[in-house]
Amino acid sequence: MKNKLSRVVDALPGLVWTALPDGRIDFLNKRWCEYTGLSADEACGQGWETAIHPEDLPEVLDRWRSVLASGKTLEMAARLRRFDGAYRLFLFRICPLVDASGQLVRWCGVDTDIEDRLQSEEAMHARWWLWPPAREHHFRSIADDIPGLVVLMNPAGEIELVNRQVLKYLDTTPEELKGCSIIDTVQPDDRPDVLARWREALDSGRPYEFEARLRRADGVYRWFQTRAFPLRDAEGRMVYWYLLQTDVDDLRRAEALLAGEMRILEMIATGESLPTTLTDLCLLVEKLCTGWACCSILLLDPENGKLWNGASPSIPKGYAEAIDGFEIGPNVGSCGSAAYHGRQIVASDIATDPRWTAFRDLALVHGLRACWSTPIFSQQGLVRGTFALYAREPSTPTRDDQVVVAQVTHLASIAIERNRVEENLRRSEAYLSEAQGLSSTGSFGWVVSTDEHFLSDETFRIFEYDPSNKVTLQMILDRIHPQDVALTWRAIALATEGKNLDYECRLLLPSGSVKNLHIVAHGNRDPDGRLEYIGAVQDVTRTRLSDEALGKARSELAHVARVTSLGALTASIAHEVNQPLSGIITNASTCLRMLAVDPPNIDGARETARRTIRDGNRASDVITRLRSLFAKKDVTTESVDLNEATREVIALSLSELQRSRVILRPELAEDLPPVTGDRVQLQQVILNLLLNASDSMSGVNDRPRHVVIRTRQDDDDRVRLAVEDAGVGVDPDCVDKLFEAFYTTKNGGMGIGLSVSRSIIESHHGRLWAAQNDGPGATFSFSIPRGPVRMTKVKSLGILRARAPMDAAHIMRTP
Amino acid sequence: MTGIRSLVSIVDDDESVRESLPDLLKECGFAVEAFASAEEFLASDSVGRTRCLILDMCMPGMTGPDLQKELTLRREEIPIIFITAHGDETVRPRVLEQGAVECLIKPFSETALLGAIDTAFRVV
Repeated sequence: MKNKLSRVVDALPGLVWTALPDGRIDFLNKRWCEYTGLSADEACGQGWETAIHPEDLPEVLDRWRSVLASGKTLEMAARLRRFDGAYRLFLFRICPLVDASGQLVRWCGVDTDIEDRLQSEEAMHARWWLWPPAREHHFRSIADDIPGLVVLMNPAGEIELVNRQVLKYLDTTPEELKGCSIIDTVQPDDRPDVLARWREALDSGRPYEFEARLRRADGVYRWFQTRAFPLRDAEGRMVYWYLLQTDVDDLRRAEALLAGEMRILEMIATGESLPTTLTDLCLLVEKLCTGWACCSILLLDPENGKLWNGASPSIPKGYAEAIDGFEIGPNVGSCGSAAYHGRQIVASDIATDPRWTAFRDLALVHGLRACWSTPIFSQQGLVRGTFALYAREPSTPTRDDQVVVAQVTHLASIAIERNRVEENLRRSEAYLSEAQGLSSTGSFGWVVSTDEHFLSDETFRIFEYDPSNKVTLQMILDRIHPQDVALTWRAIALATEGKNLDYECRLLLPSGSVKNLHIVAHGNRDPDGRLEYIGAVQDVTRTRLSDEALGKARSELAHVARVTSLGALTASIAHEVNQPLSGIITNASTCLRMLAVDPPNIDGARETARRTIRDGNRASDVITRLRSLFAKKDVTTESVDLNEATREVIALSLSELQRSRVILRPELAEDLPPVTGDRVQLQQVILNLLLNASDSMSGVNDRPRHVVIRTRQDDDDRVRLAVEDAGVGVDPDCVDKLFEAFYTTKNGGMGIGLSVSRSIIESHHGRLWAAQNDGPGATFSFSIPRGPVRMTKVKSLGILRARAPMDAAHIMRTP
Repeated sequence: MTGIRSLVSIVDDDESVRESLPDLLKECGFAVEAFASAEEFLASDSVGRTRCLILDMCMPGMTGPDLQKELTLRREEIPIIFITAHGDETVRPRVLEQGAVECLIKPFSETALLGAIDTAFRVV
């Protein structure tokens, strides 16, 4: 049986052997002997050891001994010498053979040639780690190419193998690392976390990650992200941990810078105050540029070239205060020089830097040894300030520092510029707001398609809404006077067609008060083609009220003007009245005499009494005319025959004109159409023009004092009246002033006649003007629509008060 | 009063004066001629016969004072009573200074008128 088995075993294609429980080889099959060229006798006992590659032997023996002790199975790889002296890699599989009672009776081993398979990927993957040299070779070939630190660590946490990058980073040799732990290189602050994760992973057997700072050979800690993967053997036992450590220091720094930038940009965007923003910026840099102790931002006042503290959260207070407000110059410390020259200034050692003469002691006292200052430029390239980093030891900026500072000076520039823009904006907004308040004019924006409304504070005030409200169309409509709502809808309809708006409407406010608004808006298409209105809302309530007040004042003035002309006509009036009175008295005397004779002259007395009555009526007519012309009466509109009205005025003023030696020639057009208006007011104007014409000739003695008064119908359905004199004429430069109130060229004149006349004519929708004649003198003309026209609105009508219609029967006698 | 009634001439552009005044003066026994203007009076044959001239001051064309000057130039020494509707108290002394007998401000009473005419006749 044994022989039979031996034959079978010999016939097996593998190398097979057995050993006694103590490890002594007691059998080697024929193939084993053939391969190694050793006889069974030579190989038994310890003889087989000569066939193992000397480099592999220690580990083989080591593991063989350990498996003899544990009684477990073993797999390992080692090079086995062939009979011809060549070594080939074999996989050794050893397992214990127990009897029925569980007692170990033999060790059985099978050695399989895996030399050829070693090259195959599958084999490598499956078995290479069983053979240390292959393992190391394999590891190196891959790991050295990995751009990171690769560490193979045993479950005890001891470093087994590392790639070239590790050796370079730590500046060490594999021998020195043997038995060391990766934890030795971790920054002490990060160690507890790293250890905790390691222990956790040992328990769970799952991959794990951590980030920690690792000490470089020069003592600098850099951030690494470590990922650890467990490596298991065929039985699932954890045999090694792979650690892949990636340098994330630049990334973290960039991330921190980016996060800082984002935060600061957000601060700028949300309108955080400049000092707060700049302080945050300083703190960010202090965190990122660990080689520097503190930093400061100084702002340049372009008016006087002085640098003022913008932010310096960590600068020694005494130092910051001492340098606040110093003037820049070619050699004024780092900042003063940087701002002056517009370029970076590095004082790597303040103790020796010539630019620091003036501030050297101050800086050194506060422990500042190096200062590196970078100018902050505006977009236009103007220096707005400086950004300085201070160190407590002589220092120069690193490439990383430069990157950070380049970024933050840019940010500082944005913050400063933004602040300036906002200041300007705030200032102009304040001006605008004040201007809006002063002029009671608000502005608004309206995006028609989205029905969004943007109201200025003054507009809110006018509508009496709180500015915190979001205004809707309904809210606006709620405020519109019920009588004007339809008008407003019409305006909205026009607006949606893109037409410009210009209309007036009233508001009825909750308090019951009414406001008059004048609204002007201009439609625009924005780049997306949306219709947008920008407009102004003016509260014209007060203007309306003052219009009325002005109207009233004008009315008073008109009355004064009338009374003034009454004064000018006193003599004329006296003449007009005294003339008939004279007749009356004379006739009455005659009458009495005729009745007193015997026999009484009844016929004569009757005739004289009749004349008395006639003259009485004549006097009465004059009084009636005067009263209607000079009484303060309200305006009326009626159909007026301008010729007739002119004749009445002539009648009233004729004796005055005669007294002034004025020769009046009326040239009144026939078939003159009637005009609609206030007869008395128009007569007032005619009288004023006539008296002015007369006055203008008071000094004229070398030519006849001719006045022509003309009426005619103009082409455009207007009626014109012109008074042409031969007087001193008008100065073309002053022709407009003539119509201003209280402008006068006459001694003793009040200068209100023409201004009142013009306002009367304008209220009739007419025009009053003056022109120099070709010959001597001037012509004053007015033209008014022949009517019927509605008289102008109440606002400009103060002087045009309604008056009782004049009785046509009471018109003056024409001479 | 004499058998030959003394001629009083009136020059006034106002018709009602020319109507009423002659009637009154006739009632008082005067011979009266009325003229609507100074020119008309000068052209008439009444100038030499007139014992008293009642003259309106303000008239179109030749005024009352103009006529007065003209008569002086013609050495027609006719007593003149000025009448005026434009008159005020400042007018009268000036007119009297210029040689008029009286200046009556319209409207004037019969008494004032007759008194003035009486004065005029006494002047001559």
